[in-house]
Amino acid sequence: MTRPLPAAREAFLLPALFLTVAGAGGLRISPAGGGLSFVPPPLITLVLAVLLLGVMARAGLLIPSGLLGDHRTGLENASGTVVVLSLFAASAQLFTCLTPDAGVLRLVFNLFFLFLLWNTLAAQPDRTRLLRSLLVVFGWAYVVRYVALAALADPQAGWTRRLLTVLLEGATSGPIEGEATAPLAGYVAFATLALYMIGLVLLPRPLAPGTVAIVATRAPDVLE
Amino acid sequence: MRGLPAARATMGAVREVLVRVAGLVFAAAYAAFIVSVYARQPRTVQQLAGGVAASVGAYRVDPVNFQEGLRFFRNDQFPEARAAFERADPARQDAEAQFYIAYSYYRQGWGHVYRDDALYRQGLEVVDRAIARAPGGRLVVADPTLQMHTADELRAELQRGLVAELSDFNPMKVLEPRK
Repeated sequence: MTRPLPAAREAFLLPALFLTVAGAGGLRISPAGGGLSFVPPPLITLVLAVLLLGVMARAGLLIPSGLLGDHRTGLENASGTVVVLSLFAASAQLFTCLTPDAGVLRLVFNLFFLFLLWNTLAAQPDRTRLLRSLLVVFGWAYVVRYVALAALADPQAGWTRRLLTVLLEGATSGPIEGEATAPLAGYVAFATLALYMIGLVLLPRPLAPGTVAIVATRAPDVLE
Repeated sequence: MRGLPAARATMGAVREVLVRVAGLVFAAAYAAFIVSVYARQPRTVQQLAGGVAASVGAYRVDPVNFQEGLRFFRNDQFPEARAAFERADPARQDAEAQFYIAYSYYRQGWGHVYRDDALYRQGLEVVDRAIARAPGGRLVVADPTLQMHTADELRAELQRGLVAELSDFNPMKVLEPRK
């Protein structure tokens, strides 16, 4: 049982948020000249997105029956399908946004996401804990990709670069190459991540246990 | 009076259906727009904005810069002409402006004894864009000062210039006029 979503939120707000994330997630801004390019989701991000949706469903953050099912009309099911598909596209593109474009670091990031999601799936967190967990995971990925790696690649970064170089000295066999990003790219990625998290918070919530008990007492046929 | 709550409920249900239908239309249009952006791969914000304007039929080239481009083009000032056409069509959405840019690459790269492959390649890239922007892929420019009036002719000419053939060694080829 879920709290019914207002029609406008389900039909407009959630698809708009998730489609915006899907569009902005693949945006790359060249550090030299600010040229734009749009990166489609690599196959690994599709796998990660499926895994993430599975984790969300297991934790009660994504409740399929709140968006799809026989108890809903055809139009409601169509709206719910759009929300699920746009959430999938947004998830895939968020991974694209937070993962370096090439090199060993890309592999490291993808493995990091894969094992973390697998671990979360096994841990079976509840909705609130999963939201916090995702915020921490994506937040860290953002900081590493757009702050640390960008600083390593920027010869003008000064003390930040020196500090990171010292911290990473000995942790790897060779110097870690940063990834140059345009300053605007960091802001776009931040907004993308924020919109995604807002979208997750706005997904249908389960009814409080007390409410379910009242409904079960007064209208048992609804629960069938 | 008894029918008032029922009427309100009906109104609410109708409103919800309308909201959901409008939401589906909006989501489909927005998703199509995002897919088209990824397919077109605009390189600048102007190209992105121009693509949006062109998709709703609101994109127009700047006539002053276009006329200036034509003037430079007819005076054989090709880099200047291209700069003016780029200003006239910053989003690269106008088939005719793109056609003239491609033509300027052809004319600048054309020589009696050799063709500049680099310029021809750029011209081919631009004429392909012009064809892609033209309705139905067919572009005819009724300019009496040109010898080639369609994008297909220009494309074929540019392609011929890039292919090395035995006929290239024909000394009579030196007498061929520039189109």
